[in-house]
Amino acid sequence: MAKIQAHYDGAVIGGGIAGMQAALDLAGQGFRVLLVEREPSIGGIMVGLNKVFPTLDCSSCICTPRMAEAAHHERIDLLTYTEVEEVRRTDGHFTLRLLKKPRYVVEEDCIGCGKCEQACDWFVPHEFDYGLGARKAIYIPHGNAIPQLPVLDPEHCMFDGACARVCPKNCIDFLQQPERLEVKAGSVIIATGLKLTPMEAKKEYGGGRYANVISPLLMERMQSSNGPTGHVMRPSDGRIPRSVAYVQCAGSRDRTIGVPYCSRVCCMYALKQAILIRQHHPGTEVTLYYMDIRAFGKGYEQFFRRALAEGVRVVKAKVGRITEEPDGDLVLRVELIDEGGRVAEIRHDLVVLSQGLIPAWRPVGIVPARLDEDGFFEVPEVTTRPANSSVDGIFVAGVATGPKDIPDSIVEAGAAAMEAAMYLDRISRVEAEEAAMSEVSND
Amino acid sequence: MTERRIQWQQDLKQFRERMGGISESKKAWAKRQKDILKAIRSALRGGPMTVPALAAATRLPARDVLWHVLALKRYGQVVETGLDGDYPKYGLKEGSHESPGGSGAGK
Repeated sequence: MAKIQAHYDGAVIGGGIAGMQAALDLAGQGFRVLLVEREPSIGGIMVGLNKVFPTLDCSSCICTPRMAEAAHHERIDLLTYTEVEEVRRTDGHFTLRLLKKPRYVVEEDCIGCGKCEQACDWFVPHEFDYGLGARKAIYIPHGNAIPQLPVLDPEHCMFDGACARVCPKNCIDFLQQPERLEVKAGSVIIATGLKLTPMEAKKEYGGGRYANVISPLLMERMQSSNGPTGHVMRPSDGRIPRSVAYVQCAGSRDRTIGVPYCSRVCCMYALKQAILIRQHHPGTEVTLYYMDIRAFGKGYEQFFRRALAEGVRVVKAKVGRITEEPDGDLVLRVELIDEGGRVAEIRHDLVVLSQGLIPAWRPVGIVPARLDEDGFFEVPEVTTRPANSSVDGIFVAGVATGPKDIPDSIVEAGAAAMEAAMYLDRISRVEAEEAAMSEVSND
Repeated sequence: MTERRIQWQQDLKQFRERMGGISESKKAWAKRQKDILKAIRSALRGGPMTVPALAAATRLPARDVLWHVLALKRYGQVVETGLDGDYPKYGLKEGSHESPGGSGAGK
C-alpha cells in the first residue's frame, strides 16, 4: 500500500477520468492530493471503452496516460480498493474515514507477474467485460489496470492454494483483513461517476432475460481490441449479427423508472457504436429507434450526419415490447411515428438497450453535501459555480453532478480543482490573519 | 516442505474456515465448470468448430459453450481459427495445458 500521510490539501474521491483530472490539476498547482478509488484499479468506465465520440480516438489511449501520471505524480498518493465510509468537517478541515478492502496480496511485495492468475483453475464472469468475458478467482483487473496488482475473490476461491504455490515473492496473504484509515484533508473533490440504469428496469424489453438484449457497455467491450470476443457477436450462440437494433431512451426520460432526465450521451454512444459496427461488418444493418436525436456538443451534429452517410438507419419510433424467438432473434413491436403511428413488428439478431446514467454513489449520511432528488450532487449555484457543492470546501466534478460526456467531465474536473485551490488559498490566508491577530493581542 | 509453504498452508486453512469452507453449491459450480471444459476440449480435439457445432457435439447450451470457449481463449488455451459463415471457429492452441481452467502451473 502507498504510504499515506495524515493530512492532505485535497482528497479526491473517485479515480475515473474526472477524478484523475481533478487530482492532477490540483497537484499541478503544488497541493498534496490523496486519490481514493473503490475499485482495484483507477480508470473508471472510460478505460473499458473502445473509442470516444466524435473523434473515434482510442479511449484507453487517452485514459491510460492520465492513469499513469496520477499514479506516479510526486504529490498524489493513491488508495485503490478503498471505500469512503464518512466525510465530516472538523476544526476547519475534513476528516475522511476509509476502509481499505483486502486484496489478499501484499501490495509492497507483489511484482504483478500474473503467475497466480495463470495458476488459478477457476473461471469467473468478469465484471470488466460485463459478464461475457472471464477472469480467474485471483486476477489482475485488466491489462491496463493501475496498479497492476491482483485481487483475490474469496467467493469463488476453491482454497486449493494454487496461487500461493507459484507466487515467486510469497506475497499471497490469506489472513489479510480490511483496514480502517483516517486522513484529514483541507478540501474534498467528489468525482464518483456513473452506473447505468438496470437492464431489467424496462421489463417489456427483456433486458437481463433475453441473451441477445445487451448493454451498450458490453457492446463497447465486444468492439474493443482487448475485449473478450474479438467480434461483435450474439451472447446466445456466438454468431456475428447481421441486423442490430438500438433502443434509445431505454432508461432515460422515463418517469415510470424514476429517471425523468435525458442522459445526454446515449444518442452519441449509440451512433458511435453503430458507425463502428458498419465499418467492421459492412453487411450488418444497424437501426436506431429514437424519440429525439440530441447531438448538442462540438462536432456532434456532423457526427450524426456521418452516421447517416455510413448507412446507419434512424427510425423515429417508440418501442413498446421486445419478444424472443426460439432461435434467439428478437422481435420489436414499434410504433412508427413518421408513419402516422403505424404499429409494426420488426425482427433483429441483436438489440442494444441505450440505458440511462444514474449516480454510482449516493452518500446520504456519509458526506455532508446535499444530493438532488435524482441522487446526483446538488449544485446550488449551477450557472455561476458549477463545481461547488452545498458545503464550502467540498467540490464536485463529472457525472457526480449529473449526466455528461467525457469532454464536459474533464472541463468540470479542472473547474473543481481550481475552486479547491482558491478555497485552500482563502483558508490559509484566513488562518495566517488569525494567527497574526492572535500574536498582536498576546503582545 | 519449506517453512514458507507450511506457513501459507496454515494460513489457507484458516482462510477457508473463516470463509465458511466450500458449500455444496460451490462444489456443484466447480464440478459443472470442469465437466463443461472437459467436454469442449474433447470435442475440439477433432478440429476447430463453431459454437453451435460445439453445442451439438457436447449437448450443452450454446450460450454456456460460448462463455467457456471465450474463457479458454482469454487464457490462451483456445484460438480463433477463422469464420464459418457468420460464426467464428475455435480450435485448441497447440501445447495448451489440460488443467480445468488455468495453465496447470499450480499443479
